[in-house]
Amino acid sequence: MYPRKFSYVAPNRVEEVLTLLRKYRDEAKLLAGGHSLLPMMKLRIIGPRLVIDLKNLRDRLAYIRDGARVVRIGALTTHADIELSRTLMRDIPLLPETARWIGDMQVRNMGTVGGSLAHSDPAGDWPVAMLALDASVTIQGARKRTIPLSRFLKGPFTTALKPTEILTEIVVPKPPKGHGWSWKKFERRAGDFATVNVAAIVVPDGRGRVKNVSIAIGSVNPTPYRAVNAERILRGKRPDAGLLDKAAEMAAEKAQPSSDLRGSAEYKKWLTRVMVRRALEEALSRAGITLEMTQHA
Amino acid sequence: MVRVRKTRAEIEGRWREEFVVEEEEKISPWPAEASFRYIGGRVKTVDGVAKVTGSATYTVDVSLKGMLVGKFLRCPYPHARILRIDTSDAERMKGVRGVFTFLNVPKIPWYGGLTNILSDVLRFQGEEVAFVVAEDEGVAEDAVEAITVEYERLPFVVDPVEAMREDAPKVHPDGNIFAGGPSKISRGSIEQGFGEADVVLEETFRTSAVLHNSLETHSAVAHWTSIGLTVWESTQAINNIRQRLSQIFSIPLSMVRVVCEYMGGGFGAKFDPGRHTILAALASRMTGRPVKVYLSRTEENLAAGCRAQSIQRVKAGFKRDGRITAMRLEAIINLGAYAEWVPLVGGPYRMLYQIPNLETVEWGVFTNTTPHTAMRAPGFTEGTFGLESIMDMAAEELGIDPLEIRLRNYAEVEPESGVRYTSKALRDAYLIGAREFGWEQARSVRKENGKVRAAGLASVVWWGGGGPPAYAEVKLNMDGTIQVLTSTQDIGTGTRTVLAQIVAEELSVPIERVRVVIGDTSLELFSPGSGGSGTLASMGPAVRAAAIDARNQLLDIASQFLDAPPEILELRDGRIETKEGEKSIRLEDLLRQLRDFAIVGRGARGPNPDGYAVETFAAQFAEVEVDVETGAVRVLRVTSAHDSGRIINKLTAEGQVIGGVVQGLGFALLEQRAVDPASGSIINPNLFDYLLPTSFEAPEIMPVFVEPLDTRANTLGAKGLGEPPIIGVAAAIANAVSRAIDLRITQLPITPQTILEAVKKAKK
Repeated sequence: MYPRKFSYVAPNRVEEVLTLLRKYRDEAKLLAGGHSLLPMMKLRIIGPRLVIDLKNLRDRLAYIRDGARVVRIGALTTHADIELSRTLMRDIPLLPETARWIGDMQVRNMGTVGGSLAHSDPAGDWPVAMLALDASVTIQGARKRTIPLSRFLKGPFTTALKPTEILTEIVVPKPPKGHGWSWKKFERRAGDFATVNVAAIVVPDGRGRVKNVSIAIGSVNPTPYRAVNAERILRGKRPDAGLLDKAAEMAAEKAQPSSDLRGSAEYKKWLTRVMVRRALEEALSRAGITLEMTQHA
Repeated sequence: MVRVRKTRAEIEGRWREEFVVEEEEKISPWPAEASFRYIGGRVKTVDGVAKVTGSATYTVDVSLKGMLVGKFLRCPYPHARILRIDTSDAERMKGVRGVFTFLNVPKIPWYGGLTNILSDVLRFQGEEVAFVVAEDEGVAEDAVEAITVEYERLPFVVDPVEAMREDAPKVHPDGNIFAGGPSKISRGSIEQGFGEADVVLEETFRTSAVLHNSLETHSAVAHWTSIGLTVWESTQAINNIRQRLSQIFSIPLSMVRVVCEYMGGGFGAKFDPGRHTILAALASRMTGRPVKVYLSRTEENLAAGCRAQSIQRVKAGFKRDGRITAMRLEAIINLGAYAEWVPLVGGPYRMLYQIPNLETVEWGVFTNTTPHTAMRAPGFTEGTFGLESIMDMAAEELGIDPLEIRLRNYAEVEPESGVRYTSKALRDAYLIGAREFGWEQARSVRKENGKVRAAGLASVVWWGGGGPPAYAEVKLNMDGTIQVLTSTQDIGTGTRTVLAQIVAEELSVPIERVRVVIGDTSLELFSPGSGGSGTLASMGPAVRAAAIDARNQLLDIASQFLDAPPEILELRDGRIETKEGEKSIRLEDLLRQLRDFAIVGRGARGPNPDGYAVETFAAQFAEVEVDVETGAVRVLRVTSAHDSGRIINKLTAEGQVIGGVVQGLGFALLEQRAVDPASGSIINPNLFDYLLPTSFEAPEIMPVFVEPLDTRANTLGAKGLGEPPIIGVAAAIANAVSRAIDLRITQLPITPQTILEAVKKAKK
């Protein structure tokens, strides 16, 4: 289990990283937490010429900064930092909850949110949670740009990052106070990647109805997606059980999972429905919205 | 005078004849009312600190001057022939010291002669193609990558049912059926039995190939010098490895030394030398340098064995009162590409219940998959799932409590041979287990918030009596410490600790004074492999006999020092005293005066009793919660009640039960070596895709020991416990899940998807 030969460097400044990226382009790999990169190297699935270890940039790129409307999270912030952040527990509790179910404690102590987003695993947890929160990502290259996450995630293991760019920050808008949220991750076994992962945010209108809602679903498509149709039919409503079922069904319609060890396509589609409905129930309840009781004939 | 006797000994259902040396003096078993200081207690493992601090030496820790590292190139296809192999680039690489292929190694027959140590025909994905030795591991891996091979891909078969067809691709020239046909064993007349039945049930059960996943992968260090071959091997049978190496290399036993001081588990996969062992030895002979090989997890999970996949077609006839009138099993067992024996899936069918009319038909079938090896109760863990499932089906059909139907078919004598048991307390295990578990309350099905709770149970029968030959010496040192010399090994069960307990007990000394030496054949004290749940029951009596021999010699000498007849002398808390206590001497004071004359007691394991069966039993109860919307199953708790005779150490015994239950849970719910039928390749040879249970999945586990007094099995009254705890777990869980969803589970692992599919099918 030894990787092929490679050169290693641990720069102290982002500028140095960018210089190296411009020189080595695709032949360089950035090492953050290393949970995806190192196994692939050891199994000799990939063999980069240069590994650029970002550990010396932690001072600069590992942070959780509380702003008025947004929270800024440095790309090298670990899952454990997010799990234990008081700021996030208070304002965006979806994020600590998402972190809590990633891997195990060792993984959470090393793995980073930026690494996970840049890796863009279709079953990753951060892309789903961040998509539900309408997060943006800041990218540093020859110039700096900030784009919505939905435009950043291009496909399985593919992002809008150019070989000469590095992800530096995630900008997460704070949902309004009193919002409801839910994180539902179905895993075959503790610490496994999700079979389906769903994030939901519900903003109440103060009169028992849904003002706004977002539902993000991962692991069942090449990239996570927002269930926009389901969101639409819930807005402005005080839902009943039937409407939730309908929304869950609509949300799952867009899922085109493949059959694999985690289950058949049919099973995963069904599971998506169940998980979306459970996420909505929990988020609504946390938002203080009680379901309309319906008469059954 | 030494008396030699012929006896029969068993490991995992395979019997062989042995000559054993009889004890001159008969040693009586410990009586029921014996009071002990160490035996039966919760004694901490004597080597626990060494293990957790890292000072314990495992094979991979062995580092010798000038040591080279070996690596394999493995076949990427399920079936292929090498047309051309070019190793020239690899050989030219800096640091490479040797490249071995079928072209330049001796034709050493492997897997019982079905192939050679290296061959041009490869019959499973991961089979060894070439072996490289180099100055370090990185270079060795680079060299492996630099070998180019042109393969002719051959037709393959990975499904055992397909492999049985006439037109199936042939794994071996002689066909795909082991020994050309099934093993058929019968008693009574099944036609008559089924004719007498009020109810006849038929079902097909399927279990998956699962992997051992010992913490430590297979590994060896071989060092060939002018005085012979020394091999450090992660093995559960140092003496077997030694014998095999002596045969393979045609060198006398005295020139082979095998060492295994500590090992990280084997679960049955580490009885024999591997190809890695032989090639390391060959490479060491060629280079004159020590060679280390250890498998990566991927290699381990591709090529180091598995529990065989099974398909069990069961037909069972019952009277209305639940008595079995007849049973028939036809089992198809996927052996993988090579095998020298077939796991006994029919074992529990033949041994668990009093079945008057029975036929078991077991087919061993070759396929182009990883060769099976023994894995913790091979065959029985699989067979118990089928047997105990059909018993529950009958209980449902007849409206009898699952516990009651088992009691109604209780075997008072060994069903196959009709002989008595040395001890059997399965009835106690059922009843005490049921009480501890709360079977009466738990057996009703409860629904809450879309989740359903239910309970199930299963019974367990296994061997585990151990047997001869096994020898030990107990040496009393000048400073009053005691050495126990054996050539046994510790597969991870606590061998050192239980043997130290026995000696400390017999010599009445603090256990801290006893040092147990294991894992080195150079002591020339034969012991059997640590398998078949037999280490304690084999070694323990030998060690006890040696301790008693040492004690007798000691008392003899002490009587001369104390001027008192030996009959009135006793050993008490490290002193030798007269019964009344008026004369006394400390053990170390006496030994110091003897100087270099060390008292050495010798002990041998006597034969098992003629005309009796030595077997172990258990009743296992599981409570589960099923999420009927997602199909997720959570095992809430397991009570595992065991008859393993006398328990020597409660702490290590509980460890066995906890480990066995968790491994059984994996077999029931998670584990499956997955093969892509289109390409024949293994999809999950790692611990990312292959799911082992974690502490999150582990239920609350309650071990119960019923401990019958067994004065016949051996002089300890102890029977084995390594394997029984895994055997019934999957069946108990499957029975609980079946009750929860009111549908019969027939396939392992029980994945969420299989539950939902079963529910859907039933709705249609």
